Amino acid sequence: MRGAILLLVEARVAALLLASLVAPRLSAGGSEPLLLKILAEELERNFSILSQKADPAPYFISCAITDTQYELISASRGVLQARSGRRTRLLDVSVRVGSPELDNYHPVDGQTPLVTSARPLPIEDEPDAIRRVIWLEIDRAWRAAAERLIQIRTRKQVLVAPEQLPADFSREEPVRWAEEAPPLDFPAESWAARLRRLSREFAAFPELVSSQVSVVAQREMKYLATSEGTRLAHGRRLTRLEIAARAKADDGMDLANSETFEALDASAVADDDRIRRAILRLGEELTRMRQAPVIEPYVGPAILSGPAAGVFFHEIFGHRIEGHRQRLTTEGQTFAKSIGTKVLPEFLSVVFDPTQRRAADTDLMGFYLFDDEGVRARRLTVVENGIMKAFLMSRSPVPGFANSNGHGRRQPGREVVARQSNLIVESARQVPEAELRRLLIEEIRRQGRPYGYYFERATGGYTLTERRTIQAWKVIPLVVWRVYADGRPDELVRGADMVGTPLASFAKIVATGDRPGVFNGYCGAESGSVPVSAVSPALLVSELEIQKQPASEERPPILPAPWQPGAR
Amino acid sequence: MRAACLLLGLWAAGAAPAPESRPDPVLAALEAELERSRGIRLAELEPPYFIQYTLEDVSGYSVTATLGALIREDRPRFRVAGVEVRVGSYEFDNTNYALADLFGRAPAALGVPIEDDEPALRAYFWLATDAAYKGALESMARKRAAVKHLGVFKATPDFWKAEPVTLLEPVSDRGPEATGWPERVRELSSLFRDYPQIDFSQVDYGANRTVSYLVNSEGARIRYVDWVHWLQLRAEAQAPDGMPVRDVRTLVWPQSEDAPAPAEFREATLEVARMADALRRAPQAENYVGPVLVEGIAAPQLLAQLLGRNLAVVRRPVGEPGRTPPVEPSEFEGRLGTRVLPEWMDVVDDPTQTEWRGRRLLGFYRVDMEGVAPKPLVLIERGILRAFLLTRQPVEGQTGSNGRARLPGPFGARSAAISNLFVSASTTLSPAALRERLLEMVRARSKPYGLIIRKLDFPASGGLRELRRLALGASGRASGGRLVSRPLLVWRLRPDGSEELVRGLEFRNLSARLLRDIVAASDESHLFEYLANTAPLSLAGAGGYVAGTSVIAPSLLFEELELERSEEQFPRPPVVPAPPLAARR
Repeated sequence: MRGAILLLVEARVAALLLASLVAPRLSAGGSEPLLLKILAEELERNFSILSQKADPAPYFISCAITDTQYELISASRGVLQARSGRRTRLLDVSVRVGSPELDNYHPVDGQTPLVTSARPLPIEDEPDAIRRVIWLEIDRAWRAAAERLIQIRTRKQVLVAPEQLPADFSREEPVRWAEEAPPLDFPAESWAARLRRLSREFAAFPELVSSQVSVVAQREMKYLATSEGTRLAHGRRLTRLEIAARAKADDGMDLANSETFEALDASAVADDDRIRRAILRLGEELTRMRQAPVIEPYVGPAILSGPAAGVFFHEIFGHRIEGHRQRLTTEGQTFAKSIGTKVLPEFLSVVFDPTQRRAADTDLMGFYLFDDEGVRARRLTVVENGIMKAFLMSRSPVPGFANSNGHGRRQPGREVVARQSNLIVESARQVPEAELRRLLIEEIRRQGRPYGYYFERATGGYTLTERRTIQAWKVIPLVVWRVYADGRPDELVRGADMVGTPLASFAKIVATGDRPGVFNGYCGAESGSVPVSAVSPALLVSELEIQKQPASEERPPILPAPWQPGAR
Repeated sequence: MRAACLLLGLWAAGAAPAPESRPDPVLAALEAELERSRGIRLAELEPPYFIQYTLEDVSGYSVTATLGALIREDRPRFRVAGVEVRVGSYEFDNTNYALADLFGRAPAALGVPIEDDEPALRAYFWLATDAAYKGALESMARKRAAVKHLGVFKATPDFWKAEPVTLLEPVSDRGPEATGWPERVRELSSLFRDYPQIDFSQVDYGANRTVSYLVNSEGARIRYVDWVHWLQLRAEAQAPDGMPVRDVRTLVWPQSEDAPAPAEFREATLEVARMADALRRAPQAENYVGPVLVEGIAAPQLLAQLLGRNLAVVRRPVGEPGRTPPVEPSEFEGRLGTRVLPEWMDVVDDPTQTEWRGRRLLGFYRVDMEGVAPKPLVLIERGILRAFLLTRQPVEGQTGSNGRARLPGPFGARSAAISNLFVSASTTLSPAALRERLLEMVRARSKPYGLIIRKLDFPASGGLRELRRLALGASGRASGGRLVSRPLLVWRLRPDGSEELVRGLEFRNLSARLLRDIVAASDESHLFEYLANTAPLSLAGAGGYVAGTSVIAPSLLFEELELERSEEQFPRPPVVPAPPLAARR
């Protein structure tokens, strides 16, 4: 009986990975899932005929299926606002013609092709119906590939080669791994009742203009077959609950506050008590924020909480070490030539570990066993004691890095590029949070300023990495406190954004806290939206710039809310 | 008021409120919040003179299959709420201004409750009204400034008054259900197994129920229920030279009891399979100028486009100085009282007709999107253009809405559209005689053949990409051709009476002007029904609002139409042969 691991190539590693799975569903009888079998057979049939008859012949074909089932429920003040659910199977085909050294995916003027289209496949395992669609997509992808290779070869002759370019595709060991699809296991009716109940808690805050509690539960199975022999079926579940509310200050500024709770298993999402407490805190913060002072532009010391620091690292560092950015001539290439050099303070290390399931009592969204090119996920140290060690790699090589390290990711319908997974910041200069605060006050005094800032929660951020724009980043905080040096209590403020440029920002990190915090979210880039996590202790920075958030000039509602006394 | 009520029959209640079997929390919420919003006013600025709330409650079921396997199954359930606030006066307000749509949208984060909870619904309309009112003020200020800069400003009023209608239809608890449809689409899609040369085939079934609510500050109070069901059959293949060919058929019916018999579904599916397979083998057509018989459903399909879009007058909004808003005018503009069809043809739009030859019509409705009750309307009488389809958006030379607001429109207005369009001819020929007439014309002109068009690709089924290519082709033509559907099924009719299917033709320079040159019509009428939407050529699956439409027309013989070979670049035929299909089970 072979169980979950059906066709083991690397028994040792696979067994290790298995241990990190919570409850793998064993496939009965040890046979390959039918869908994977259909996929592999049709791929082989096409590859074999195209190899003999097509000109140019493909040297590589991959077919990926993303089978997703989701349920979404959203409620506001005790009443459902949305309820939907769907099951889809989407096919992404990649055909490579030419050779790994130069193929149709070769970037031209910083552009790589988009051929795949996430074509819908039958959601039932009916071989003929599925084969037809796979055949049509391979045909389309091959024609596009052949056309682009001709263009590239023609262009090659007229362009100067700026630098010795790496190959277009890396060689990797094929993998074989199959597990059965986990059931979604999401009792929608009881969740709807739960959301109605929880969303009513916001009614305690009459000054909010809107509020929601929503949940999305999804089950995702990924199937991959390649002409190299990879046969992969793996999946996971993820449930995400979000509480969110909005208010408006009297000067028109829109105020938003939100918090999310994730769990790979729907039944493990935070309990009612914890969510209720979070709702009450959110509501109170928003209500206070309406009266809070608006920040003035500022440069000075600040503490970023763990989750806020996670977003900070994701934006300023994570995106700049994505492999393809070291290669494309349109990119800023901040760290392209930094391997072996100091890029961060020596007490900091940064690790990407997609195989880590949990940190700080939270399931990590950036968890996976294989990336979207079928490369096994692994723990990867990118910065060790401040020294740059590696880039995040897909199968698109860059100078000095000929192979993937399992970070080729995409959303269905996009082409794979290197993306982040679970970013984990490790610190050798950890101090207890109370001590970190003391250090902040000391730093404020040292700089002769009246106050510094504490960024408690952030909702996300973005960064620009291309040359034609500025190398800058921005983190959008939700809850920000002014910390006074003279012992006054902290003061809630509103309207602040954190901004900066990457290289200048790193040098200002002074110390870290001793407890990791988690930020779970979706990251959007060239290859679409992918789930990621960032784990970091709180950071003390000696200099951080904050700027005013864009503000609305629209006044608060003219009529009182219908639920306000005297509204009727 | 009286006229509207008469038409509404059972459900009309005039000034007295209609009897209600139970309180409706949706209507109660809309009315309560509307009442409260009458008092909205920002500082010294003008208060609204008109407020209208709409809410559409949509529940649906849809299922798609290919070769016996489901591709997707959906149960959409959502509500769309609309708030219209007008400031100024009926004479001059914030609409009919090029930038009007940019202001006053409800905040994106605001969700519409999908449960019948009065406080929750009121909370939505409270904030949406606030945004709409502030947007109206902004739009009004800018419009006033823009008008100041205009040299000539034609003072057509901005909004027509309408009699408030009260119409409260009962709503049952049951929305669309699956009831055997997954099995049926699996079975129908399996029929394509007998056609291995068809590369891709798909069967889509869907049903939607929309409960629409409308209340306004003039006193309208409306709740009505719309049902629509459809089955789309689609087959795609590639000719040996690489040209993609397809046949598509969509059957549409209003209520579930109006559904065609199972045998009809089966026959329709097989017909689509046969035609796609025949097209694959058919010769490629050549450019053609000459007599054309538009036969069967192709006639109403053609008229739906040529008459449909030209019978509504498009009003040009006040623009920003130096910028002309993109508006495609009706070809019939300024032609009231002139001949647009042969003098032996008449056209009536009649949304009050419930059925035709025992079949329930899709274009029937009691009130339009603005809450106006429609009446039958003679549009073209003995070939002379007599009237336009009108909404509450005033157009020059007209006096009021005739209840044809059927789709959302730009610049704060709705678009007028046809409903049940009856095209009739007083001088007719039998179908056989009509065909003989075409043959005579072919012989008289010593042409090798004439053309018979039996189906157009309307609503467009080729997706956005094909639509863009067609639009580009149409606008590129020197004579200013307009976007018109591709013919899907075209036959050559040789002088000896034999017919041959051809593929790959497109219309060239087809405009409403050619309708005057119709030579003859058949004594048989054909019904074509479809779901109109706001996309060009009512692009199938474009989403958004749909308006069920029925067009009834005889076959038509044209003196001269131009068709040309498609300029599309064909993909190469696949190198790998299609995977084999197991026999149908």
